[in-house]
Amino acid sequence: MDVRAGGQPGSRRSKGPVGSAAPAGLEAALAAVARGDEAAFAVVYDRAAPAVLGTARRILRDPAQSEEVMQEVLLEVWRTASRFDPATGSAAAWITTLAHRRAVDRVRSEQRAARREIRAAAAAIAYDEVADAVEASLDRERVRRCLAGLTELQRESVTLAYYGGYSYREVALLLGVAVGTVKTRMRDGLIRLRDCLGVG
Amino acid sequence: MHALVGAYVLDAIPDRDRSEFERHLLTCEQCRDDVRGLREAGALLAAAVAVTPRPELRGPTLQAAGVTRQLAPVGGEPTRRSWRRREPSAGVVRFWLAGVAVSVAVVLAVTAVVLGLHMAAMQRRLAAEDRRDSAISAILGAHDTVVLTAAVTTGGTATVVMSHHERELVFTANGLTRLPGSRGYELWLSGPTGITPVGMLPPGSRGMSGPMVVGHVAVGDALEVTVEPVGGSPHPTSVPIVRLALDT
Repeated sequence: MDVRAGGQPGSRRSKGPVGSAAPAGLEAALAAVARGDEAAFAVVYDRAAPAVLGTARRILRDPAQSEEVMQEVLLEVWRTASRFDPATGSAAAWITTLAHRRAVDRVRSEQRAARREIRAAAAAIAYDEVADAVEASLDRERVRRCLAGLTELQRESVTLAYYGGYSYREVALLLGVAVGTVKTRMRDGLIRLRDCLGVG
Repeated sequence: MHALVGAYVLDAIPDRDRSEFERHLLTCEQCRDDVRGLREAGALLAAAVAVTPRPELRGPTLQAAGVTRQLAPVGGEPTRRSWRRREPSAGVVRFWLAGVAVSVAVVLAVTAVVLGLHMAAMQRRLAAEDRRDSAISAILGAHDTVVLTAAVTTGGTATVVMSHHERELVFTANGLTRLPGSRGYELWLSGPTGITPVGMLPPGSRGMSGPMVVGHVAVGDALEVTVEPVGGSPHPTSVPIVRLALDT
């Protein structure tokens, strides 16, 4: 996903038409989608779907459910593209926010239906998976490096929430620390991550 | 920075806290800036775990878009200038909207499960919430959404999000002074033909109350809140602690 467009001036612009009338940059493509441009939606799909699917996979684990969520989110992007306001952040942040929330909401509704036991095993994997990912990518490397710069408690709080889909209360239980501590570690960890990544 | 902003951006916040925090965002510009910045970090957390979808998924998803109607933009039509009080930027309304639009359907689904035990009760409640939520969506999605705020004389702020076109509004309040158990806040709609009770404001946690949907509002109407016995009164028995004129 073209998330680097989020923070660095200049890279937000469309890179211009590539082979068709559809703009190639995510921001410009999303703006065209808001006007009903189906070719631009294909561009948005190609750029955004991998991060959406990856996020859903981390949280839901189940491949079929994750694909469903990915398709739902992309359709939601199509449907509500006119509500995207560049003043409130990058297109990538808007789409991944939709994706993350939808995946978390799905976990929670299942949890409520079946009182899902807390999968403590997931505690260990979230960070390691980023660290040990086979597929190399620039984003992955930057995030891995910046996550490594967090305190352990900050890193675990952020990754358990983001990749594990756990609430702050669940994270507090998993880490054996006070709820208030988890809240501030999530905040401070994200701030440090934001600054390290040079976004926002 | 607000303590909950990290948990909010990470979706690690219970649904109830989430909607409270979103109402808080409505009045806290600094918090909106913080959320905006931290979400960019979240986007990179997502990008870091990207996986390529199976190619078979692409065609159906694009085709589904082709047969799905898109939402009209918010604020496409000029806002009536005659509304009193300040009019927040379209960005503020949209920011709130984005959260509300996403969460309404999900909250409904989740509510069904949470409340679930008794099917019939659940369905009745769902239908009621559905009506309320679709009313809220209609107001927030209207082309002429306007936000009015006013200070409550006894402490706190009242906020109205209304659509002249829909002739409906959503009323919320925050920071209202806690009342003894025997008293409550009652919302009134005051118009040329008199004053009618809308209902008791549900006591919210952390000072947030509402939302309450008020329909059939007309030019010249005003909203008022008074302190009444907890069961409500048919007519106000005390002086209004806030009055929001809905038109000049």
